[in-house]
This record gives sequence, C-alpha cells and structure tokens, in this order.
Amino acid sequence: MATTIIQPGEIEPLAGKAPWLRLPERKTIFARREKRCQALAKDHPLKNYLLFMAGVARAQQESLNGYDKTALPDANRLHICRQQGIPPLAVQNWRRDPSWHEVLRIMIEKVRDTAEPATADSLDRLLAGGGPAFEAMADGLLTGNYAGMDLAAAPLVGAALQVYWVHMATSLGRESFAGSAAPTFCPVCSSPPLASIVHSGGIENGQRYLHCSLCAAEWHMVRVKCSNCQSTKEIAYHGIEGDSGAIKAETCDECQTYLKIMSMERDPDIDPTVDDLATLPLDLLMDQAGFFRCSFSFFLIPAEEVAA
Amino acid sequence: MQVTRRQFCKICAAGLGGSSLGLMGYSPGEVLAQTNSFKLTRATETRSTCPYCSVSCGLLIYSMGDRAKNARSEIIHIEGDPDNPVNRGTLCPKGAGLLDMIQSPNRLNYPEVREPGSNGWKRISWDEAFTRIAKHMKADRDENFVTENSAGLKVNRWPTVGVLASSSSINEVGYISHKVLRSLGVVTIDTQARI
Repeated sequence: MATTIIQPGEIEPLAGKAPWLRLPERKTIFARREKRCQALAKDHPLKNYLLFMAGVARAQQESLNGYDKTALPDANRLHICRQQGIPPLAVQNWRRDPSWHEVLRIMIEKVRDTAEPATADSLDRLLAGGGPAFEAMADGLLTGNYAGMDLAAAPLVGAALQVYWVHMATSLGRESFAGSAAPTFCPVCSSPPLASIVHSGGIENGQRYLHCSLCAAEWHMVRVKCSNCQSTKEIAYHGIEGDSGAIKAETCDECQTYLKIMSMERDPDIDPTVDDLATLPLDLLMDQAGFFRCSFSFFLIPAEEVAA
Repeated sequence: MQVTRRQFCKICAAGLGGSSLGLMGYSPGEVLAQTNSFKLTRATETRSTCPYCSVSCGLLIYSMGDRAKNARSEIIHIEGDPDNPVNRGTLCPKGAGLLDMIQSPNRLNYPEVREPGSNGWKRISWDEAFTRIAKHMKADRDENFVTENSAGLKVNRWPTVGVLASSSSINEVGYISHKVLRSLGVVTIDTQARI
C-alpha cells in the first residue's frame, strides 16, 4: 500500500502501459499452487483439504507438462471472435476435445489414495461412468448448473478442465485474444472470476486484475469498481481484524455481492485458488453480513446457488 | 443481449456440510469455530484529486469505519491512483505527505479573523466571515471602481482586487467563477492550474 515515489531514471519504464491480459505461466502455474497449499496447510483448520489440494495441483502440473497437441480455434475463428468481442475459448460454445478425459483419469489415479473415503467412492463412481459422465459433469460445472451433481467428485473434474483450458490458452498466446464485450467475464473462456489480484512492482504496480476461475488468465479492471455490476458507488473492503490485510472482500451495495481482492504487495506468494480456500472464514463472515459471493471456484462448490 | 451479471452463491455456515468440501469428507467444524472468534472490519477506497498543483494527480483515499453505525470514518492512508492516466499511481513527495496535511493539528477548520490592533486570531462564524468579506469588497469596489479611462471610453474596471482560482476546479466552476468576477469588473483573475 506504500506510495511509489519514483527515482530518476525510473520514469521511462513507467511510461508504458500495463498489459490488459496476463496469461498464466505454463511451466509453474500449478507447481506454485502446490507450494502455496503446503505453506498454508501448516496449522490451518482445513489442513487436510489443503494437503489433498497440493496433490491435485502437482498432478495438474504434471498433466500440463505432458499435454499433447489438441484442437485449437483456427485463424478465421480467432478473427471473428476478435471483431465481435467474443472469447474464443468460451465455455458455452467451445467443443471440448476428449483429450481432457485422459488427464482426468490420470489425475484421479494419482490422488485417489490420498483422498478421504467419501471422495474416493465418488471418484470410483465417476470413473465407472467414463467419458459421458465426465462430459455431463463438465457441462454442469461450466454453465453453473450443479444441481444433482456429485459434488465430491466435481472438484477433480474442474481440475482437469483447468489443465485443458490453461493448455489451450497458453498454446494460443496472448496475441490471439482481444477485449471481450462482457468485461465481467474472462476474455479467454468467458468464465466468472475467482478473485481480484492487485499486482505489485513494475508496470503493473497497483493494477487490479480479475483472475479467471477456469483458465487462470487475468484481465484488467480499474480499482474501486464492482466486478459484477460495474457500479463505482458504495464499494467497501471488508477484512478480518488483526490479520495481514492482504485479502479483503470487495463489496458492492448496489448488487449486494462481494469478490475477494488479494494484494500481492502485502503477500507476494498469493495463489488465488488456494488463498480463496484458506480464507473460508471471510466468506462465512460476509454471508453473515448479508452479501452474496459472485465468484466461482471448482474447489468450493456450495450446496445451492442463488440466481443472479 | 450480453449477460453481464454473474451467478451469485451463498457460502454459509449451515451449508458447508452439503458443499463440495463437506461431501468430500472434510469436516468444517474447526473453520466454523475459528470464524466465531473473528471480527469483520470495513474500509473504503475513494478516488480524489490532489489539491496542491496543476498536475492534479489522482488519489486513492483509504478510510476506516462503518458508516452504517453512524461512526465517524477516519482517513488512514492516501496513495496515488494506479488507474489515473496522469500519475499512474505515483505521487510527488509533497503529495505523498497529504495524510499529514489532512490530520494536521494546525489545519484551519473554521473562519478566523485577526482584528486590527489585536495580537491573536478570533474564531468567527461563516455568516460573519461572508458578511465581513462582502463589506470589505464592496467598500473597496466603491472606492476604486473605474468607469472610464483617460480617453473617456467606458471600461467599468475594478483593478484593486485579484482572484486566484483552484487547480482542482472543474470546467463548470471555472465558468461560474469567471462570470461572477467579470460581472463585478474584476480584471485580475488567475488560476493555480496555470502554474
């Protein structure tokens, strides 16, 4: 939160413009997440879950490292999407390549032994259903329709979809994407954000990005603005008294929702996915304060959703 | 039509058991116990403009306090607004010290007057202050108003009063300042934004 006082010679790099889109680092995205899970698991009330998630993240990184070529949007489709402001890998209309099924199978194999019995049973049932069961669950997860879904197996399906989408997004590269007509959704895959990240250092210092819940792309949005209804009135920041202040809930009185906002300046090791789980008490307090959560995480799917 | 609002969800203490977390076999009991010991704080970030010079750097002003409880909110921090195209999050040393100016014990919070012959400042009301300033201005204008120049041309000048306008004024304030002052005949009008 410190104010930047620029020194002689520093003004030139600052004169550039921060990128509007940041794609995840393919080589380290899930490895970083695994490390963060292990670091936060110490003395945490959700220790066992965070350690299980560390194993999931490790399996995700291994799958991503070895991901074969997969179908991508061609130049023509990219061009049309750019012209019309449509995310090229939009979850609603991108035809998924079955290659992600294998990712899911291998991931389940790797983490099944570390899972709680309830999770293991669900994963066995999911595996027995095969491809059609995977696709049905993916459809539900990606369109926000998870009524009747086996929620104990859903996080693993989400994890495999993350690997698939990160693979596609990083294979295409930043130049393939253009600003979306709907700035409250990811311009790569049109998923809702998981959290806001305020970056620290360099040209992105103090800039807020929305972090995609599926493909981990980050797109820019000005600060002090509701990421859901885009109102700039009555925005407040709720935090837990006495903590580091790195993670707060940005609330909007207009639409009564909140999105967590995470400051990399206060904690440079933040991983939005893990830190979102680790700050579950903040969600519970925000619920008591009467705000709805307007973000999505595959790793904390509530029993019921509230229609927008 | 573009759907721009997102789906809401509710993550609440009673619902955790039925969430993916609970169904996976992880007990939320400890989290719930921990949550009960936590207290929520509320802060706001407000956009503003630095009052000092004509660059008019964008500011983010951080305040603590719960307006709902009618408590007085307190400014805790000020920094450059990273989204402002003028300063992109930076501030000069003077601007970076704004918090001290706002919280300075020497800051003038009300009108004061130092009467001729007295050795101290006396607090007066806004009404008194406005009346006093208006009377002084009227007396000065009556005394020094110039209706014609040496060539006998009508000029209607009030050359003995000058005005310096704020650099934080918006266009409309500038327009009104100009209209009012010119209609009184004020010749010397300048603005801090020119410096």
